Amino acid sequence: MSVTTLGGGDPVADFEQHRKDLRRQKLIMNLLFAGGFLLLLAFSINVSRFFPDRLAAGLPRIFEYFGTILPSLQWDVLFEGRNEAGRAPAGSLLYWYSDIGKYVRLLFETVLMALTGTIIGAAIAFLLSFPAARNLAPNGAVYWITRRVMEFFRGVPEILYALVFVFMVGIGPLAGVLAIAIHTAGALGKMFAEVNENASGRPVQGIRGVGGNWFEEMRYGVMPQVMPNFISYTLLRFEINVRASAVVGFVGAGGIGQELYHVISFYSDDRVLAVLILVVLMVTVVDLISERMRTFFIGKEAFAR
Amino acid sequence: MLQFENLTKSFGAKSAVADVTLEIPDGQMVGVIGRSGAGKSTLLRMVNRLNDPTSGKMLHEGRDISALKGKDLLEWRSRCAMVFQQFNLVGRLDVITNVMTGRLYHHNIFTSMFSIFSAAERAFAIRALDRLGMAPTALQKAETLSGGQMQRVAIARALMQEPKIMLADEPIASLDPMNARLVMDALRRINQEDGITVLCNLHTLDTARSYCDRIIGMLDGKVVFDGTPPQLTDAKAREIYGAEADEAFSEGVTSTALKGTESKRANLRLAAE
Repeated sequence: MSVTTLGGGDPVADFEQHRKDLRRQKLIMNLLFAGGFLLLLAFSINVSRFFPDRLAAGLPRIFEYFGTILPSLQWDVLFEGRNEAGRAPAGSLLYWYSDIGKYVRLLFETVLMALTGTIIGAAIAFLLSFPAARNLAPNGAVYWITRRVMEFFRGVPEILYALVFVFMVGIGPLAGVLAIAIHTAGALGKMFAEVNENASGRPVQGIRGVGGNWFEEMRYGVMPQVMPNFISYTLLRFEINVRASAVVGFVGAGGIGQELYHVISFYSDDRVLAVLILVVLMVTVVDLISERMRTFFIGKEAFAR
Repeated sequence: MLQFENLTKSFGAKSAVADVTLEIPDGQMVGVIGRSGAGKSTLLRMVNRLNDPTSGKMLHEGRDISALKGKDLLEWRSRCAMVFQQFNLVGRLDVITNVMTGRLYHHNIFTSMFSIFSAAERAFAIRALDRLGMAPTALQKAETLSGGQMQRVAIARALMQEPKIMLADEPIASLDPMNARLVMDALRRINQEDGITVLCNLHTLDTARSYCDRIIGMLDGKVVFDGTPPQLTDAKAREIYGAEADEAFSEGVTSTALKGTESKRANLRLAAE
């Protein structure tokens, strides 16, 4: 008796029956998932009060606010410099951007905060990513601990870390840098660890075969494989951190956020828009530069192959 | 002298290596043959402890190497070099760094993490590469090499370890006949000139016959033949290979060694050290 007739009947009928069973199971699962999803969606709409009438009522007020922060520019004095009294005439660009020096200094500080935070965070992420990779961790306990530590690092938003660090080290960019570094260590560490999990085990075994210890296996067997990905992810994180570092200033952790908070809460006039435009410009410029660098690195890799 | 005493390795209920007892004197070149799944690789990988034995003992010069831990284990691996079927080089590192990793055991954490190798180590690495005709590729990335070149670099890495024993797990199974010949000649020369014990898994009878002092045949994890090449009769070989016998016997088909004049040039190049 051959294997195909073990079901007791015609192999085609057996197959069809099996297929029907599988499809029924799948259908039930799909319906369950769809039902669960719809329930959750309804619940979350209710919680966030995302109702069309509220949205319709709120929309005009958005434009109201934009109206209050629009500058009142006048064409005839638009490009005028300071007058004899040393004051810029109302309606000129110079009047609108009279604090440009301060803004530029703070924007520069913002980018530097993001840069420092990214470098420190990426260094920590680099160290954590090896024990946090399932295939490389020396043992289960180390893997579990580093994973949990990284979850804690990235689970808390930068702005909350910034609040805590402002209490610890005082108002200023240091608090912002520390906040960004810690969040980056967690977020990048997870990505690095996943890159590590995709690394080939052959070179690692080669290094183990020559009597290398765990650190040497990581340094020579894994690192050369994963570095290009690490660089690419770090540059991407730098872009994200520039945005984050523009926000942490709201709680006093340095950068342009401090000024933005100041102008929103004390004046709420055209100065808000002046700062916002510069922030958008800064983010765009940083994104462009970082993308260039990324293609430069990846391009070089592709060429070397 | 390397001794195995009732060495056994089980994966679940299945024994890959079952109750193997052997003695291998220093300086011998031993070929291990058998069909796939006979336990050849497991046996070799246990010697430098990439796999741990389930029971039994391995002794090297009287020292129990099956119980080594921590630094002692790393020291043993550094003295017992392994050449892999798939080479296991670090493709993205250059050739000479790959070779110099053979010295890692002798480095401290600082010099190893920052890749600081001495001029003497570089010179040693170049000489090792030169013995295998690979010195001109020293600064190339290892992933740019062909299979045969990679295996020769892997042997140079093994030489860099200044090993007492060299293990080779199917070193020529992924190579074309020309490169297979180069690699086997190199292993034989290392065995004869440096007096290093070579323990080599092979999948073809004629390679084992022409290169090894001694042949060990394995079947289902057990040693079923242990003797010199002339002692390996057709009947014995048929027993070792069982159902795959016919395949193993059409040596003309499965052979990876070149015969005759074609390989003379390769030999000359190696001899021109």
